[in-house]
Amino acid sequence: MKPNFIQKVTNWGNFPIVEKEMRSEDSFRKIKEFVLDHNEVIARGNGRCYGDASLGENIFSTKKLNKFISFDRLNGVIECESGVLLSEVLEISVPQGYFLYVTPGTKFISVGGAIASDVHGKNHHAEGCFSEYVLEFKLMVENGEIIICSRQENSEKFWATIGGMGLTGIILSAKFKLKNIETAYIRQESIKAENLDEIFRLFDESESWTYTVAWIDCLQKGKNIGRSILMRGEHAFRYELPENKNKNPLVLKKKFSPTVPFYFPGFVLNALTVRLFNFLYYKKQSKKEVKNFTDYETFFYPLDVVNDWNKIYGKSGFIQYQMVIPKETGKGGMKKILETIANSGNGSFLAVLKLFGKDNPEAYNSFPVEGYTLALDFKVNSKLKKLIDQLDEIVEAFGGRIYLTKDSMSRSSLTNYLTNVQSSKFVSLQHKRILNNTK
Amino acid sequence: MIVLGSTSEVAQAFVEKALREGERFERIYLFTSNKETTERFARHIDVKFLQESEIIELDLTKEINYQNFDYITSSLLFCATGYLGEGTDEGLYDNKNTQRIIDINYSKLVPIINYFAQKFESRRSGTIIGLSSVAGERGRQSNFIYGSAKAAFTAYLSGLRNYLFDKKVHVMTVKPGFMATKMTEGLPLNPKLTATPKQAADCIYNAFKKQKNVTYVLPIWGVIMMIIRNIPEFIFKKLKL
Repeated sequence: MKPNFIQKVTNWGNFPIVEKEMRSEDSFRKIKEFVLDHNEVIARGNGRCYGDASLGENIFSTKKLNKFISFDRLNGVIECESGVLLSEVLEISVPQGYFLYVTPGTKFISVGGAIASDVHGKNHHAEGCFSEYVLEFKLMVENGEIIICSRQENSEKFWATIGGMGLTGIILSAKFKLKNIETAYIRQESIKAENLDEIFRLFDESESWTYTVAWIDCLQKGKNIGRSILMRGEHAFRYELPENKNKNPLVLKKKFSPTVPFYFPGFVLNALTVRLFNFLYYKKQSKKEVKNFTDYETFFYPLDVVNDWNKIYGKSGFIQYQMVIPKETGKGGMKKILETIANSGNGSFLAVLKLFGKDNPEAYNSFPVEGYTLALDFKVNSKLKKLIDQLDEIVEAFGGRIYLTKDSMSRSSLTNYLTNVQSSKFVSLQHKRILNNTK
Repeated sequence: MIVLGSTSEVAQAFVEKALREGERFERIYLFTSNKETTERFARHIDVKFLQESEIIELDLTKEINYQNFDYITSSLLFCATGYLGEGTDEGLYDNKNTQRIIDINYSKLVPIINYFAQKFESRRSGTIIGLSSVAGERGRQSNFIYGSAKAAFTAYLSGLRNYLFDKKVHVMTVKPGFMATKMTEGLPLNPKLTATPKQAADCIYNAFKKQKNVTYVLPIWGVIMMIIRNIPEFIFKKLKL
């Protein structure tokens, strides 16, 4: 049997699907061979980005670069290969009293992906992006050489790679800082907001909290527009914890995680079921304000509890639409966006609103800029492109941009913000699409 | 613990599984022909589990000085050494290829397992886990040199199990079926019949705890191989398997 590395590859949104060559190697010599032998190469971690960012003609999967290299337990500095998942980092760091400084809403992304996307979390306003805590990484560049990139060494490549969507090379390993925690629990407050004005006011009031995020019922209209629940949290100190959690505060009990066994048929998710879900989610919390302690998994990664949850969107897949609108004009923009979605009837199962803090001007390829960011997921159907066009128009009018990690169909004027990444060797489907589309 | 074939993803996944289950070893002896990759694994288990290990270079195609291993004591041996080589066409009549397949899967491998088996026997304790293959159950045109070496290895493990039974040493034979590893990367395998290294390791660890004699990684392979073994030869020889 002759090896054939062509296979169907798709990211978390199951859209688009390509049939391309995908290879995975753990030997640096073989990775170099792969890079030198192929013209258009793109690295891919765990495929948990949504759109077409990690797809390309020749895909290099970092799945086999899955080893830890060092862990300085005294200073909380960890080094690992780029295919190691954040979940694997947490598995060893949490019991030692360390947490990731910045984590996105899933822990099943690779460290390499976290750098290439420069991921953000619920604490962007307070602690910035993932890159703030990256000390250095090793990058394989076009000629197959491995260079060390840090703020001091090859700093130009360092900053281009951060948020650079894999277009500067293959990240092989990375060293980054972790934050001290006393417990694996979060002190949480959930507050219901009647409408957009109230939720914006709550965000402003919650500025001193490390973690803030709001879930929005995006099908509400009129005076209810922006009906939502704000969640804010802090890593709990040991003394705060109730007694039943205080015996072994850094260790969580193993939980059962169900798996979605197959792609749901198309009709399961429709305007009615999405409306119902949103209604129930909002009503689930009966009080205006709830204070409690929750484990970090529930707080940061509520969706990770269900394996393969992307299958509920059916075989046609879904897209995640995340944009940011600068602070000055943000409220008006958000209102318009939510009105457009509600009128389209194309509801989003999950709509998440966040306030971004100041951006780091050095990390010029990072997505976040100071302002409001909204993430929505939409099932792919015949009407979707039209809705995305409408939303893109609003985002553009308000001076915003789209998160590349989730993009697969937005207009290129909102997604062409990467600089210093032009390469004939490292090319993704997404980048080609953006360059070829002049709209 | 002694690991033969330490770059094998299944071996590495097994080591991790055992450590995650709370097993601790005074030291893990990682035998390998690829020092670079194994060193990375050694560091990995040190970082993750604070488990000490030692890398021992071993090239089965060369002369082995057994005295170098005298100091090694352990009660668990995991053998994942294997070499698929080229199947038919280019590979079949290439004697170097044939010799290499037989050496690595059987003739050079058996003496080293025997060496450690003898140590286990004299201490009257221990477990030997050997990864053989379903390819060893019936010779098929696609890879019968490999298959015949694995058939010999299966027979060796079975005999060794029998011999060591009253010496309180357990021998387990694992027949993995398809696995998504370096050995099979790029081959068109049916995903339903293919185990990931992690799945394989979980299953092998459970079988080890239950002191099984022979285990398939995915149960379906037991059924498939029963059918394959029972196809009459006059039909079998005409099949393109």
